[in-house]
Amino acid sequence: MFRTLFLTLLVLVIALGGGAGSVWLALNASEGIGAVAIGGWTAFPDVGTRNADTYSKARFAREGGLALGRAEGIAFSAQRDSGGALLRRECTYTIEGSLPSARFWTLYAADEQKIVLPPTARRVPALHSLELLRTVDGAIKITIGAHPAPGNWLGLTGKGPMQLVLTLYDTPSATAARVLEIELPQVLRTGCDE
Amino acid sequence: MSRPVYALLLGLVGAGIVHISILFLLPHFTERDAWSQLSQVSDFYTPTSITGTTSTTPLIRSVDPLFAAVACRFDLGDGVVHVQAPGRVPFWSMSVYDRNGQNIFSFNDRTSADGTVNFVVLTPEQTIQVRRQLPEEFVNSVFVETDIGEGIVLVRAFVPDQTWRAAIADFLSGVSCAPR
Repeated sequence: MFRTLFLTLLVLVIALGGGAGSVWLALNASEGIGAVAIGGWTAFPDVGTRNADTYSKARFAREGGLALGRAEGIAFSAQRDSGGALLRRECTYTIEGSLPSARFWTLYAADEQKIVLPPTARRVPALHSLELLRTVDGAIKITIGAHPAPGNWLGLTGKGPMQLVLTLYDTPSATAARVLEIELPQVLRTGCDE
Repeated sequence: MSRPVYALLLGLVGAGIVHISILFLLPHFTERDAWSQLSQVSDFYTPTSITGTTSTTPLIRSVDPLFAAVACRFDLGDGVVHVQAPGRVPFWSMSVYDRNGQNIFSFNDRTSADGTVNFVVLTPEQTIQVRRQLPEEFVNSVFVETDIGEGIVLVRAFVPDQTWRAAIADFLSGVSCAPR
């Protein structure tokens, strides 16, 4: 009697717990199904369209957003630096390299829920390519951190994990077929406040 | 086969069924999607700003902080939707989303006829009707033909720096979204 009851409970726990847990894990994975990863940056070109797979659709419904269309642009996010460590607000990072062709692009820091982090006093929370200093060969170098830096600086405040979001607007790279051909800059960690 | 092993297998099969059910039902039962959030603050055909100011969080997440955007809900059952906005800004783009927030169609200022926001969303049947006798106000419009009933239109505009904020707000407040 108790044995039957125990086994029934076991079946239910495995079914409900395992089913719900595996969905939760699958939807929270940053490099899930449908993701395109380019040197530490990930994008979901099909998310928010009818071509999206079932996992992307569920993830999108849960996050509640309105994705950029193909003619608008494509958003990449980075959760980790080039060394593989998670990005943190108390650290300083340098973004170096060249970007694919686009009319312009923007870069901002967001928390884990993709909510934009508040800027340092009297600054805007994002940088964009139309007001950026460039190196001699046209590449970019951006310092991201709590301490002001010469050149291009994106100010951070607070502590905790963060992600960087790089959005290319009006770019031929937005289609899923072309997105694998592009190169994105590296996120290098230069130091951390203790 | 012993009963615990049988129970374990049954549990795993059940887990698979639960996994698939949650996955397919989630988009239908979520209350965090764009449509639900918009319907809480505004009615159909009301252009609503979805970008937050510095003190409020945006209505819909994943909008770039350097952008301002307005969204309006429509129902093609009421007739075609004509969306227009006078004026020019450095960059604007628009998207049409279906009831589930999935992007159906998008374009930007360089793909429109004369660089201004002027487009009509309609169903294939309405296209036939409209083309039979093209109304004067649709002559310069871009036609977005889609088979959705209800949907959302979103116009985004780029704010390069703070000096542009007032001009962009003016442009977006001029967005009209009306059934015809």
